[in-house]
Amino acid sequence: MSEKIGVYLCHCGTNISQTVDIAEVARFAETLPNVAVVREYKYMCSNPGQEMIKKDIRELGLDRVVVSSCSPLLHEETFRAACDDAGLNRFLFQMSNVREQCSWVHSDRKKATEKAKKLVAAAVMRVAKHEPLEVRKVPVRNETLIIGGGIAGIEAALKIAESGKKVYLVERDSTIGGHMAKFDKTFPTLDCAACILTPKMVQVADHPNVELYTYSEVEEVSGYVGNFKVKVRKRPRYVDVVKCTACGECVEVCPIEFKNEFDENMSTRKAIFRAFPQAVPNAFLIDKKGKAPCRAECPAGVHAQGYIALIAQRRYADAFDLIMSDLPLPSVCGRVCYHPCEERCERGSLDEPVAINTLKRFASDWAAENGVEPAPRKRTKEGKVAVVGGGPAGLACANELSKRGYAVTVFEANEKPGGMLRYAIPEYRLPASVLDRDIERLEKLGIEIRTSSPVDDPEALLREGYGGVFLALGAQKSSSMGIEGEDKEGVMGMLEFLRAAKEKKLTCIGWKVAVVGGGNSAMDAARTAVRLGAESVQVLYRRSRAEMPAHDWEVEEAEREGVLFKFLVSPVAVLGDGKAEKVKCVRMRLGEPDESGRRRPEPIEGSEFTLDADLIVMAIGQQTDIAGGMEKLKRSKWGTIEADPVTLETNLKGVFAGGDAVTGAATVVEAFAAGKRAAESLDRYLSGKDLREGRDKEIPVAPSPSTEGVKKEPRVREPVIPSIDRVGGFREITGTIAEEDAVREALRCLRCGGCSECMECVKKCEPEAIIHDQLEETVEIEVGTIIVATGYRLFDSSRIPQYGYGRFPDVYNGLEFERLCHAGGPTGGKILTSKGEKPEAIAILHCVGSRDENYLDYCSRVCCMYSLKFAHLAKEKTGAKVYNFYIDIRAFGKGYEEFYKRLLNEDIYFIRGKASEVTAVPEYPEEEGKLVVVCEDTLLGINRRVPVDMVILSAGMEPAEGADELTRMLSLSCTYGGFFMEKHPKLAPVDTPTDGIFLAGACQGPKDIPDAVSQGAAAAAGALSLMDKGVFVLEPVTADRVEELCSGCKVCIANCPYSAIEFDAEKNVSVVVKELCKGCGTCVASCPSGAAFQENFADDQIVNEIEGILLAAKGA
Amino acid sequence: MEVTTVNEDLGRALLERVMSIPNGHKIKACQQCGACSASCPSSYAMEYSPREIIAALRAGVLNRVFESSTVWLCASCYLCTVRCPAGIPFTDVMYELKAMGIEKGLYKKDQHNIKMARTFTRTVEKYGRNAEVEMILKYYLTTNPLKLLGQTSLALKLLMKGRLDLFPHRIKGLAELKKMVAAVEGGSNGS
Repeated sequence: MSEKIGVYLCHCGTNISQTVDIAEVARFAETLPNVAVVREYKYMCSNPGQEMIKKDIRELGLDRVVVSSCSPLLHEETFRAACDDAGLNRFLFQMSNVREQCSWVHSDRKKATEKAKKLVAAAVMRVAKHEPLEVRKVPVRNETLIIGGGIAGIEAALKIAESGKKVYLVERDSTIGGHMAKFDKTFPTLDCAACILTPKMVQVADHPNVELYTYSEVEEVSGYVGNFKVKVRKRPRYVDVVKCTACGECVEVCPIEFKNEFDENMSTRKAIFRAFPQAVPNAFLIDKKGKAPCRAECPAGVHAQGYIALIAQRRYADAFDLIMSDLPLPSVCGRVCYHPCEERCERGSLDEPVAINTLKRFASDWAAENGVEPAPRKRTKEGKVAVVGGGPAGLACANELSKRGYAVTVFEANEKPGGMLRYAIPEYRLPASVLDRDIERLEKLGIEIRTSSPVDDPEALLREGYGGVFLALGAQKSSSMGIEGEDKEGVMGMLEFLRAAKEKKLTCIGWKVAVVGGGNSAMDAARTAVRLGAESVQVLYRRSRAEMPAHDWEVEEAEREGVLFKFLVSPVAVLGDGKAEKVKCVRMRLGEPDESGRRRPEPIEGSEFTLDADLIVMAIGQQTDIAGGMEKLKRSKWGTIEADPVTLETNLKGVFAGGDAVTGAATVVEAFAAGKRAAESLDRYLSGKDLREGRDKEIPVAPSPSTEGVKKEPRVREPVIPSIDRVGGFREITGTIAEEDAVREALRCLRCGGCSECMECVKKCEPEAIIHDQLEETVEIEVGTIIVATGYRLFDSSRIPQYGYGRFPDVYNGLEFERLCHAGGPTGGKILTSKGEKPEAIAILHCVGSRDENYLDYCSRVCCMYSLKFAHLAKEKTGAKVYNFYIDIRAFGKGYEEFYKRLLNEDIYFIRGKASEVTAVPEYPEEEGKLVVVCEDTLLGINRRVPVDMVILSAGMEPAEGADELTRMLSLSCTYGGFFMEKHPKLAPVDTPTDGIFLAGACQGPKDIPDAVSQGAAAAAGALSLMDKGVFVLEPVTADRVEELCSGCKVCIANCPYSAIEFDAEKNVSVVVKELCKGCGTCVASCPSGAAFQENFADDQIVNEIEGILLAAKGA
Repeated sequence: MEVTTVNEDLGRALLERVMSIPNGHKIKACQQCGACSASCPSSYAMEYSPREIIAALRAGVLNRVFESSTVWLCASCYLCTVRCPAGIPFTDVMYELKAMGIEKGLYKKDQHNIKMARTFTRTVEKYGRNAEVEMILKYYLTTNPLKLLGQTSLALKLLMKGRLDLFPHRIKGLAELKKMVAAVEGGSNGS
């Protein structure tokens, strides 16, 4: 079949015709195959031009059209529409660009004409092979996502919301308003930034069609125009935005201070804060960097950073209250805890860890001495709980439940409560008076403790009306070795020995004592024996010193007190006539590591020897001793009670168990942890909640804080009585530190967690808006269009060392000076030097970073004007001499030149010249104590040194942080400096090459407020026009696959710049998502199997196009 | 005001040559901001500041470029080059201007700096390094022998402190250095 092709040659005024001989091209075109008609016209894109084409299609029956004119970017759509109008498929048209690619770039008329012929011939040959294609349409959703809540984003949001469409406004900061919210005045009208901005902020927040996500970030965007799926990560504010009334009472009690970013770090703010009084949403938030490592390491999750912060503020009662809410026996814990928190303390990497446990003891002892009681507890819950066992686990559970408003009864089998704390921990470490004091306090708080009340049957307690039972039975029995003669008199279990010592029922005067074991209780036993008057005390341990489970300091103290150690020795028999006299031992050597990772000791044959011993204490472990009516409880093979590790449920409903009875002997703080865990379970159980849901939330540990500028300072040492005074009795070895030492020590804390979680704000907050355990949340939304309005960041002036920013305190950048001028800023709006004085002379340096090959190539457009504004404000507020150092003054906007003229009349000095440096080295007497700006006054041709008190660097604009990630996420491109690229710099400044995504504000390039607002509105219009139409027409010139040929190699997937190719794993082929495909052809070129092809770029079309060029070349 | 003659054709040719050195074309982008002049430690002694030299060169006001002391006073500290926001390789430009001035005989005949430069180069060619006494003697003998007397007290002080060598030292491998210099110079002449 032969085609009828019409060729239309445009003169484009004289743009084409002055370089290309169009008449000659026309004559040539007539000779080309299938050409039915050739016409030329001055403006083919005009109405008459288009009509000419339409008429020919209708009257001459053309079935192909070629227009030779400008770039298809400009008028392809015009001519395709004309074809459509005349009833010809719009893809049976081809455009050849003889303007941008020919007449504009050539000067030789003859050669240009030859080239034009080739281009036309190529188009004619190509179009003959074109196939009609059908356009496809996709629906467009009615919601918009706006990324960035600065003035551009706000404007766009309002425009769209007003039209009745839904807007999701996502802002990374805690408030919307962006940089503009920090400004004092705006140029050139000098109206107050807040006065014009905050009404708009409020409007956005109140608008029913706007859903505001502050303190949130866009994490993932998938889908395509009209149907984007977006994941938004909402960082926790820890304050309920709805409940918070912004009364600010929390701020007063918060002990943690940080630099205030909103004031450009020139003032401080609390850990609970809001950016500024008109913040939107007007609610506070808490700055948490993560879980403080001390708290993360503590088995009982004690808020160590919290009480440290409160002690630093001399708020000991508050500190004590916080400790009490975490622990039942604070004075006890402050003495006996092995403080794993300190191992993890970040201060340790600088000098020494903070003495956390010592501070806890200080606060607790301070409270006892000063008669301070914790906050009284109210019974708010119906349920009643029974705790069996008055040791640390039981008391921790009771304390936690009483705090939560439950009535608790503790059943203790012994005469006195305290468990191992009372009967096993020696007096010199923990005086009984301290324990009594802590337990009495619990009783005062309303916990009932019934002593000498053993419980046989936990279910009986349930029947008695207790809602739940917690079994904290402990491990009451010393383990025995099972060696010969172990039953002789003079052999004691560690627990029995320690208890007898504590009850003062035993002395060892003149005895030789052997303690078997290497753990902490072996050390306790040995050191107790020393105090009981033993002649010698030997510790027998079957491994070496390195494997000893006892803490280093315990071993050292024992040695200091005269305890002897025999390592790699194990008893095999106790010898003696009725009573122990000697112990027979065997020497050991270390073999392969066992399951605990320690090397297994093996006896050395024939190495037996004997030792004299009047008393042998077996300190080799403890066992659960569960007797009587507990037989219904399921036990493990070790005899411990079986309980769920998360919920501590036993096999009996309503009965929970924890502590040593479940885990075997462990530390006091681990017992506290078990008690608290049981309390959580019981609370959930009694209020009918799921026992597991949302428990043990993974809160990330805070990163290491910066130690920059922190001076090294030694850790406080507890007062210790000399060893010589110790062994004669059971006096407590360590004392409580003095108040001043405590405060100094508390100030050493590096505040890793940000917020210290001291819970003071919770106490203060009447509307109960504070949610300390809030977690990050990810929400998924679906939108039709996206507007990117991520703004800018200020150029970092410290990159230009000669200007002294960061070195001289009186060199400020633009944003810092804005805050200095601002009534809400660090100086209340007074322009003062770092010494608090009124400056007599101020220098303003233009083009800092901008227009400089070494930094930012481009002009940042706003600095001239904001410099002029600064000059005016500085003059007005201080009366100082103000110098502007400029290269060119760019005052190009409406009212800007007038503002410049106004300034020229205000006695401001304008020096034309770029400052070469700012120095504090004086060369003349008048420069003493001043900053000197050095420059060439280029209008005078002289070098000048201008002494001033304050230098303002008018730094340029760079793309906002995170712009890179967004570029990838949204498949955007960047232009100079990393600003997002628009679709066309003049004709589509707010569109992007990705359909459905628009740009607004400084993310597209530096711009001032009026321009940013205009773009916000323009982007809104772009989004609205798409959404109002409801459908988007997709270009059918996309790639596709011949499925049978695709080998599933995925090369195309890796190469696709638009992420438009998916993999169908079932069929093992790649599939083009037509909605995302831009028709770039990369996949077609990269396909090794020839499976990929592209509509309108078929091989025969391209070959024909080349043939056209060759044909024309031959003709010439 | 002085009326300056503008030699546009020669100016154009010389400008083209300056622009042919690496990054030399950047003088077209000079914003006349003066950061160079204000950074220059010698500019106080110059008749025209480095910025004005660029302006004069671009405008073809060649007498300012070649007959003034400016290019000869450049101490090669490179501060201007480092700070220039237009990226102009000032120090290299200055060297090129010196070379061109000598080649085309454009310098002022009583310009002593040229003689200083020449004496320096010749001393270096001879010994492979500087020989202060010989260089100063030769320089003053070709310019103003009387001024030499004024330098004696400084020379004595330097001698006393061991800062001045009376006798020149030759470096090792002088022949190789000469070959290198010859190769570089040959290269720069485009041969």
